[in-house]
Amino acid sequence: MDCEQVPTTKDQLNNLFYPRSIAVVGTNRVRDSVPFDIFYNIMRDGYRGQLYPVSPREPSICDIDAYKYVIDIEDDIDLAVIVFPSTVCHLAMEQCGQKGIKTAIIISAGFREAGPAGAKRERQVKDIADRYGISFIGPNCLGLINTDPACSLNASFARKMPEEGSIALLSQSGALCTAVLDYARAHHIGFSKFVSFGNRADIDEIDLLLYLKDDPRTEVILLYLEEIRDGRALMDAARTLLEEKEKPVLILKSGATEQGASAASLHTGALAGSDEVCDAALRQAGIIRCRTVEDLLNSAVCIVNQPLPHGRCVSIMTNAGGPGVLATDFAVDEGLKIASFSEHTTLSLKKHLPYSSSITNPIDILGDAKAERYTAALKLSQEDENVDGTLVILTPQSMTDIGAIARGVKSISKKFDKPLYATFMGGEDVQAGVDYLESSGIPHFQRLQDMCKTFAVTCRIHERLTRTSSTVPVFSDTNQEKAQAPIDVSIQAGKSFLTEKTATELLYAYGFPVLPLYIAKTETEAVEIAEKICYPVVMKIHSESIQHKFDSGGVILNIGSEEEAKAAYRTIVANMDRAGKTSHVDGLLVSKYIEDGEEVILGLKRDPSFGPVLMFGLGGIFVELLRDVSFRIAPVDTASIEKMIREIRSYPVLEGFRGRPERDIQSIVECIGRLSQLALECPMINELDINPLIVHEKGKGSTVVDVKILLRGTEQC
Amino acid sequence: MDRSTIEKSVKKVISEILRIDEVEITPNANFIFDLGADSMHSIQLVAAFEEEFDIEMNEEEAFSVQTVAAAVDLIQNTLENRS
Repeated sequence: MDCEQVPTTKDQLNNLFYPRSIAVVGTNRVRDSVPFDIFYNIMRDGYRGQLYPVSPREPSICDIDAYKYVIDIEDDIDLAVIVFPSTVCHLAMEQCGQKGIKTAIIISAGFREAGPAGAKRERQVKDIADRYGISFIGPNCLGLINTDPACSLNASFARKMPEEGSIALLSQSGALCTAVLDYARAHHIGFSKFVSFGNRADIDEIDLLLYLKDDPRTEVILLYLEEIRDGRALMDAARTLLEEKEKPVLILKSGATEQGASAASLHTGALAGSDEVCDAALRQAGIIRCRTVEDLLNSAVCIVNQPLPHGRCVSIMTNAGGPGVLATDFAVDEGLKIASFSEHTTLSLKKHLPYSSSITNPIDILGDAKAERYTAALKLSQEDENVDGTLVILTPQSMTDIGAIARGVKSISKKFDKPLYATFMGGEDVQAGVDYLESSGIPHFQRLQDMCKTFAVTCRIHERLTRTSSTVPVFSDTNQEKAQAPIDVSIQAGKSFLTEKTATELLYAYGFPVLPLYIAKTETEAVEIAEKICYPVVMKIHSESIQHKFDSGGVILNIGSEEEAKAAYRTIVANMDRAGKTSHVDGLLVSKYIEDGEEVILGLKRDPSFGPVLMFGLGGIFVELLRDVSFRIAPVDTASIEKMIREIRSYPVLEGFRGRPERDIQSIVECIGRLSQLALECPMINELDINPLIVHEKGKGSTVVDVKILLRGTEQC
Repeated sequence: MDRSTIEKSVKKVISEILRIDEVEITPNANFIFDLGADSMHSIQLVAAFEEEFDIEMNEEEAFSVQTVAAAVDLIQNTLENRS
């Protein structure tokens, strides 16, 4: 939502979903045309309110008297559905305003998506709507459906009204909606609300999410987006839905944003691409990101029809060994655990199953298993306290009574507060059983891997809902004023980055464990400093204009003696002379050389949609090659920081791998917390790399060895 | 041909194609919003104007015309340019 615009009120959104009267503005009698179908669908699918056709040339539509103009209607109108061609939608909107209508849907295409002339039309319509305080969906959309029998509204050109259910779907794409509806109908999946919002010139997904938070008929919201316009607002809205109402938001997000492809000069910028940031931000907000329409609907069905699993321990039950082993592999790949049955379960399974059955997990009840055996084993599985849910597999063999087994699965499902998912493998033979399961609310999956993946998704939702609350760390020993001063000076001087000395001082002001840096103007000074701070030392160029010092031969590490210090000084000066950069060098920086520890990288980048992005990973020169990094959006709480650190593949290195000492992970947690605070308090920092942060043995802290800071409003240094 | 003659003929053509009373066809009437023309009507109207006035209209200009007055303007310009 643009901050300038008047916010959409709850009444307006209520008029959108529960209008007492609707005018379809611009309808006609041409069957199979959008203007006709919209009117016809509202009428056919049993809309409970008053419906008015507005058509400039037709006396009636479907035997209902039509009005030439919307202003001719005497009664009040709650919702206008505008189906005129885009070139005259502004005229229709103007009349809606004159009529006092406050909510509209513009179905018509031919706006922003059609080029500059269309964009101009969209602005014109939006300006009129703003002038009259009208909130509207669209333009360029499929419309809206509300399956609530109290309203029964199909103001869309979808072919059929979906079944009633508790899943809401919000989609930027209209065409995708029709495909989802068709798929859903085939699998007995019902919806509560359904909105295609198209160009979202006014009402957007955030408005709709917040409305659905309080919709008692909606338990889960599915969102299809091609572009995330306000990532932070989306995160906040999704968090609110989950934390206040336990309503998960699942998203199918296509395309990479253009912002993410922007040129970047630091490691963080290069690694924090739009999709990586999007992924991390959605996860942080508890939003489940799905990759296909099927994943989206599978997860939604499990959420609304089954209890959420209280843990990751699954029991797998099958009448064929191969699929059981496959499912085990998929489950483990998805981070699930194969439950170990209790002694009681093991003994009971032994008693109820044939001798050659496998009574360990996965349970193989053999190919000749009939409904009785399935039901008995399933009951034992669900009863076991070590089992968080059961995955049932069936292969159709000549003696398999598929229908009876499906009924048995349903009856067991009802008896336990644990999820039960099924895969009846095959096609024609199992179809009746599959239909029975789906219409009974038992999640059924065509593929074993989808069943395991979806179980893992529902685990994540439960983990999120039950996680212990954690607070964002606040450091009171920071000095924002001192940190901001060099930023202001540099920006005023037109600089795009801070020198290493200034950047180090900035980090010091924020309590980071930095090394003192001393400037030497002569060889003698360099040696004096080195002896004062004790060898080994590092020497590097101090420059207002050279940022990548290594590339210019401007850094020498591990200088161990006076002779080496003199030689290092001369080498750097010669390198600068050879590169023609002597005039850019303002002296040499001398600091202590630190090598005892693991190198990690901490980074910060501003994302246009999500704001400040924090990065953590194993550091050093191969960071971009290995891409072993994790991201969070600032501010970040302590538990999330700890999770962020554990997420990287190389985490065991920090725990002490193959005899190496355990590192001071707590000091990394503190540094990321400080970076999060810095990101929020110094918004002119565009990108920041601390690479490396050397993490010492547990209890001995860490040390910032190098830092680069780019300022905002600069593309490249 | 003067403007009032053109306007009269234009109204007659519109009335025939859209089958509406000439009284409803005011100069400011929008072909789509007020008179209910659709894309097929637009094609028929342009063809009928060309025949009525024995002119060839620029397609892009003709199809972007929104109101009756704008149609009269375009026909008048086309006639003047021809002569």
